[in-house]
This record gives sequence, C-alpha cells and structure tokens, in this order.
Amino acid sequence: MADILVIDDDEQMLQVVGMMLRRGGHQALLANTPQQGLAHIVEQKPDLVVLDVMMPGMSGYELCRQVRARAELADLPILILSARSQEVDRQAGLQSGATDYLSKPIMSQALLQRIDELLSQRFPASRTAAEGFVLSFFSLRGGVGRTTLAVNLAAALRAQGRGGVCLVELTPSGGQAAFHLRLQTTASWADLPPLPAEVGWTQLSARLLAHSSGLRLLAAPAAPQLPAMPAAESVTHWLQLLRQQMDYVVIDLPPLRSAATQAALGCADMVWHVVTPDVISLRLALPGQKLLQTAAAETTAKAFLLNQVTAETLLPADVVERGLRQRVAFQVGYDAQQARALMQGAPLALSSAQSSLALLAHRLAEGIGQQARARQRAAGAGA
Amino acid sequence: MTSLTGPGRIQLEIFTDAHRISCQMAVGIRGLHAELADSSSNYREVEDAYISRVNEPAEITANYARCALRKDNVKFVVLQDRREGLPMGSHHAQSVYTRGRPVPVFLTVPAFEIRGELRHDGKVSPALLMAQAISRYLFVFAATAAAALHPQVVYHGDLIMVDAAQIGVLGIEERR
Repeated sequence: MADILVIDDDEQMLQVVGMMLRRGGHQALLANTPQQGLAHIVEQKPDLVVLDVMMPGMSGYELCRQVRARAELADLPILILSARSQEVDRQAGLQSGATDYLSKPIMSQALLQRIDELLSQRFPASRTAAEGFVLSFFSLRGGVGRTTLAVNLAAALRAQGRGGVCLVELTPSGGQAAFHLRLQTTASWADLPPLPAEVGWTQLSARLLAHSSGLRLLAAPAAPQLPAMPAAESVTHWLQLLRQQMDYVVIDLPPLRSAATQAALGCADMVWHVVTPDVISLRLALPGQKLLQTAAAETTAKAFLLNQVTAETLLPADVVERGLRQRVAFQVGYDAQQARALMQGAPLALSSAQSSLALLAHRLAEGIGQQARARQRAAGAGA
Repeated sequence: MTSLTGPGRIQLEIFTDAHRISCQMAVGIRGLHAELADSSSNYREVEDAYISRVNEPAEITANYARCALRKDNVKFVVLQDRREGLPMGSHHAQSVYTRGRPVPVFLTVPAFEIRGELRHDGKVSPALLMAQAISRYLFVFAATAAAALHPQVVYHGDLIMVDAAQIGVLGIEERR
C-alpha cells in the first residue's frame, strides 16, 4: 500500500490516525509540527499527506501553500483532517491547495476509503510492475471448510505484515466471511454496478469492509439474492482492480461450476483445491480437477489440500491420494477451537497462534509470500 | 468514532460578536452546559484556541495554548454533536430539553442571525419561549448561524447554544 505522512500537533490524534493507517495496510510516517512535516515531505516524498489545520506556528493552509509552491510536489495528494468542520473551512482548505477535506472526528473506514480514492486518482495504473498475488480456495463440494481456510490465510498474510490483503467471497448463498471476522455486511459485491465499465477502484474500494487487522473484505451478500452470481466479466474486472491495489487477494470460491467461478480461477496465480476425507468429496474432486485444468492458466500453481482430518478419519491421506491420483500438498487437522473462533468472530490465525489451523495458515502464508516474491523477481527479470 | 480530545474534553466553536474561537474545553463530568452556566465565575479558560475574525472565518488570526473567555460576551456556541452540549442526564428524548415537538425559530444576537429548531411542549409563543427558558442557554437544534454583515458566512451545528440574554429578536414559525 502507500507511504502516508500524518502532520498533527495533537500527539493523541497523531497516534490514532497512524494506527488507523497501519491497520489499513499503509506505512504511517508521523510529524507533530508543521515544520517537521514539511521537511518530511521534501525528504521522504510520501505518497499522500494527512494534514491538520490548527497547528501553532503555521496553519495547515499555510503548509499547503508552501507545498504547492514547489513544482515537484504539485500532484502530491493532501487530505486535510480538521476539527473545523464548516463549509468555509473546507473551501479555504481546497483554495490553499489541499486535494480533499475531512472533518474530525472520523471513522477509520471513512478515512481509509477517502485515502484509497485519492491514491487511485494519483496512481490510476500503478503497481502494474508489482501486481498483487491472487490465490483461490476451490472445491465443488460444499462444507469442506473453504471459507475458514480463506479467512485464516488472509488474516495470516495480514498479520505477517505482507502489505494490503483483500479477501473476496464469491458465494451466492449468503456470505459467511463477515461472521468469521465479526464484521457487519454493510456492503457487498452485489452493491456494485452490473457493468464492469462502471466500476473503478473508487466504487470497488467503497464496498470493501475493513477489519481491525487491516484486512479488507469484498463480502458476499448476507442473504441469497438474484442474480445469484456476478457476471464473469465483472469478476475478472474486480480481480484486476484488486490485483492492482492489493499485495494479496484471497478468493473463497463457491462450490459451483459457474462462469464466475471459471473467471476467478482464470485470474488466480495459485489454486488450493480443498477436499475432505470422505467419498462424496473424492467423487467431486475429479470433475473439479477437470474444471480447474480448463479454467486456470497453465502457469497457475495448483495443489490439493486435505482438510478436516481427524484421528477417526475413514479415508486416510494415502487412500485419498490414490483416489485423486495426485499427492496432497497439505493436510489440515480438525481444529476444535474453530467453533469458538467463529462465535467470537476472531480468526484463529489472529487470536490463537498455537492452534493447528493458525500454524498451518501461517505456514501457507510464508510459502505464498516466497512464491509472490519469486514471481515478482521473474517479472522484473523479464522486463 | 475516534475521540479527538480525550475523556471530558470537547471540541467547540465559541462566537463573540466579532470573532470565532475554535478551541477545546475540559468539561469534566458536569458537561459543557454546567461549565458555561456556572454563575460563580465570569470567566472560563479554554485550550488550543484558534481565533478567526467573523468576516474571514477560515483565516487564523491568532492561536494560544490557553486563553480565558469572558462568559457574558459569548453570544453562542456551535457543537457538532448535541450530546456534548445538553446538560448531564438530559440526552434522552424525554428530557425537558429534548422532548416536545420541533418549533422552527429565527433569532438574532449581536452580529448574527440564527435559524434552527427548539423543542417545546404545548402552546407556544415567542415571548413564552424566552420567558420560560429553563437555562441561561437556548438549545437550537440542527441550526445555522449567519453573520449579519456577511451573510455568505454561515456556520452549521447539530446544536447551537445561544445565550438567552443576548437575544434581540426571536420569531417562530408555528406549524398549523
């Protein structure tokens, strides 16, 4: 995400805004005097500045004017965040050269959303050289624990400080990821305009829910609705936008052979095909694997993940592997703590680091981090 | 919602007839109303005060870490959250300050015209509203204050607390 400089003489406010930005996946630089802030702007060249107005010695308006007087800083986005909330204050801020004006107090999500909008205006096609890594959890059998795995992997990636992470839940039958994260589904992909051309980063980012860890969620609608699934073109477009703005995109795919599912598989750099040790799962794994081979690119890494393994499992891993005619890359034991984590809306990857699911999620996150870096190195060498 | 000012401190805008003072005040558990209406002192200190002229409301003329106000020269106070101004224990909808139907009002104080809504039960007349004021301040909800000599300069607040002693004219628009 971005390097953001916050300038505010109120130390408490400075720390709070810094924390909001870090939770949003940004790097926060802090300055508690306008003079120090101006020096940071010149020396450190942040991607965006969040600026208070009422500061002793130099007002935010004056600082804005001084920044704009330098030609090399003409397009630096400056967001004024002030307790002065009147329209005359907003006008004065914009006239002094600020890009936008928000009034205190501010909700974390509103601040992050406005920052996303300003960054996307400044870097409309940014990050193409270092696009985010997209990975999917897929299965044609329902109830195999895809959402739990996706939520915990996304949370682990975020907890490991791997930049901006967005979880995308594409199920049409009522979203669950928001429950896992104790978020209210105030927006979902169903609220996006139907035509891809009408959806830019501004519209998309406005529908992302923000978790306190900094993880973002493009939620599925809370209740099933029509049309059940988004169009394939829309899914491709959303994932392209997310790939440009996020470092990691984790997709929880529904157990459906739909065009949207195929489009999402087509966008993925890595697909985890989730199976459970039961006959139905094995029977559905083979057509699922065919679909995966057809829809996903040749370069997409594909692997089986055997979930919900218990000591009493009737089909041990070697039997499952014979049925699949492939090796299983990871086995995930049944974690009794998961039920409590769901009740509390606190993913184990964030709340119980020693649980088996959390350990696996963090191992996966480390491996994916290595793959993403390798892919970036390859892209850099190719360029 | 992120508190900016910490517990017991609020952000407010105080208006004299010529100046706008954006400041913070430590109001403690008694709240802003009690601090301003306290007749044992004519003065009140505020913190982080940024002062603008009414005709140049966005230009900061002076700022002080602490300064004192003479309370009887405060014409009105603009708040963005009515809960910060209402007397302690009267935030609920049935309190003497908040119950009743909304009565649209227009009133003047030196150099300003204020519009908004008062809450009142029963028969209402302008004189009655002023005579029966139960506090030093009139609580005008969803209010705007325009500078009389610079009507383009308008301030909005969820609550404007008007010093009743400063009111020149009060008119009501009773719904029929």
